[in-house]
Amino acid sequence: MLRLENVSKVYPNGTKALNKVSFEVADGEFLVVIGLSGSGKSTLLRCINRLIEPTEGKIYLNEIDITAASPAELRRIRRSIAMVFQQFNLVKRSSVMNNVLSGRLGYANPWLSLLGIWPEEEKQRAIKALERVGIEDKADNRADALSGGQQQRVGIARALMQEPKILLADEPVASLDPVLSHSILQYLEQLNKEGITIICSLHFLDLVHRYATRVIALKDGEKVFEGEAKEIDRAKFKEIYGEEAQEIRAATL
Amino acid sequence: MKGKRSPFLAGLLSLVLPGAGQFYTGQRYRGVAILLGTLVMAGTVVWYGERSWYVIPVIILLWNIWDAVSLANRGRGRAILIPVAAGLLAAYAIGWQVVQIDFSNADMNRAISILRPMLRPDFIQKRTEKNEMWVEIQVPCLQNPPTGQNELNGKKAIIIPNCAGVGETVILQVSGLWPGMETSVWWEDPSGQDKMIAPGESSMLIVTTDDEGKLTTVFPVPTTALIAVPDVNISPPHRIYVRQSRPIGGIEFSFVGGEVVKGAVITVGMALMATLIAIIFAVPISFLAAHNLMSGNPVTQVIYLIVRTLLNILRSIESLIIAIVFVVIVGLGPFAGVLALALHSIAALAKLYSEVIEGIDPGPIEAIRATGATWPQIVRFAVIPQIVPPFTAFTIYRWDINVRSATIVGFVGGGGLGFLLIELIRINDMRGVSAVFISIAVIVMAMDYISAKIRERLI
Repeated sequence: MLRLENVSKVYPNGTKALNKVSFEVADGEFLVVIGLSGSGKSTLLRCINRLIEPTEGKIYLNEIDITAASPAELRRIRRSIAMVFQQFNLVKRSSVMNNVLSGRLGYANPWLSLLGIWPEEEKQRAIKALERVGIEDKADNRADALSGGQQQRVGIARALMQEPKILLADEPVASLDPVLSHSILQYLEQLNKEGITIICSLHFLDLVHRYATRVIALKDGEKVFEGEAKEIDRAKFKEIYGEEAQEIRAATL
Repeated sequence: MKGKRSPFLAGLLSLVLPGAGQFYTGQRYRGVAILLGTLVMAGTVVWYGERSWYVIPVIILLWNIWDAVSLANRGRGRAILIPVAAGLLAAYAIGWQVVQIDFSNADMNRAISILRPMLRPDFIQKRTEKNEMWVEIQVPCLQNPPTGQNELNGKKAIIIPNCAGVGETVILQVSGLWPGMETSVWWEDPSGQDKMIAPGESSMLIVTTDDEGKLTTVFPVPTTALIAVPDVNISPPHRIYVRQSRPIGGIEFSFVGGEVVKGAVITVGMALMATLIAIIFAVPISFLAAHNLMSGNPVTQVIYLIVRTLLNILRSIESLIIAIVFVVIVGLGPFAGVLALALHSIAALAKLYSEVIEGIDPGPIEAIRATGATWPQIVRFAVIPQIVPPFTAFTIYRWDINVRSATIVGFVGGGGLGFLLIELIRINDMRGVSAVFISIAVIVMAMDYISAKIRERLI
């Protein structure tokens, strides 16, 4: 179980990205975070694995305080919290295989990994991860030779290598077209069914309705809604996204 | 159009001060541009001092009045084609004379005398075997003269007499040579210098052997034979050499050709060493010159500014100039060239590397950090894959540039092909010069091709 207590983040330039956000995520949930660009979704997700240090508040993973973890403990915690990104964040010049293997760095022998030497079982694990997202034939390609949807699948395979308990997905489909969006989210849904807790930020209401088990909404760094996906109707959506906002429908697939 | 302007006033203003009329009609930039243009043109013509060219600024002045009147009349000026064409004409004509373009000095015969030997680059020659013989003679006659005879490998040479004074006639007889062949005969004084025994420019006498391989020739003891002899009373003997050479099939590098190959190896090596030295310094410096790494606090920002400024200054000095300084410091030779190229390359590479570092994508770093990787692992998996290929590409590109520069640096004593080229030009060996030109072209083209291919794969 993941619990956030009054998490705030003020950037050095004075921007208040998060303001006393608290919520709980039970194991096995598919929690979707919605909100305008700049509402603090990305900051919130990055505070959970401390890619961004929260200025205030506590975050507990199974009652262990992540915010108080030492660097070594933090790396161990990060191992169990995988992350996929809007821009995929692959090393473009490296092979797909190397990108996927890098997801295993938290477990790897530090010296051998620095030499780029991986045990056979890890290579097998990487192939299996690629098979799960259906691109095992691309293992030797350079990452930037793949299409956007394929790159995000590499990102998911990299996350799988961590054998995570939680998967943070920061707008994983915002750079993809609607068809690919569904295919990527279906992979996440599948992982969710296998017991991985998913915390995912999304923009499209129909995707929220389709995949979320629970939703929280952020506005100007504050939590303005927490509840089930079906509770979000047009009125609620307008409240979160502002009066002028029109719901843009992702293709109805 | 707001407010009516008087065409007469506009024209008058432009007559008094070019551009003033345009300014008056509201076309301020046009007015200023016309004023500046007219002043520059008038200044140039006056500086050049040729009266007939004064017509150009006058044309521009008249056009300017016409333009101002038109602007006031119909709100639209005249095409600027006329003053621009007039200005260009003046610039072209004056430029022609300033740079002293003059084809009457051209001498086609001189050009041909240089270019013709260049058609036969001195790179390779037919392989030959040599047949050589010598005999000693004393000049002038003292005690214990040499025998005047020499026998060697079935060849026999006799000089009569076995001692003689300067200018006295001697007879040389040699047998056992290859028959029916041109044979060179020359005189060497005790210090090993050739002395002239033939009329004309060559110091050698050419004699043809008879059917039995014998030659007989008569020549005077060279008048210059004793110039390099410190004390004629204890002079060691002089030597008279004969030499034949004949092709034995196949080809080999000529002497100059061999030097060209050596020079080429030195030039490429200079470029390689300069680049390697530059890498060692440029990599750490580039981190100090990367804006994204150094903008954190005021101290690093100051370091960044200082490093950037130094690099920019260093980069703006041609390696040729740096080479002249290093030739003074470490002496003539490739080492001075290497240091000059290295210094220039450090500045150039550090700038390019720092731009690579500035352009690094933070996404992968974030992603690898999120996997629980340690700092060295993050550098190894997220930073190095991003910077090594472009670093390598820029480095190879630099090596390529350095090969070109190495030949230029050689001109001022930096060694390699450039140095050889200057030496060959000095002794007017145009066949050798041609060989150097060709090898420079081949090396530069090859480097260009190879580096382009490698960079293609890396980027």
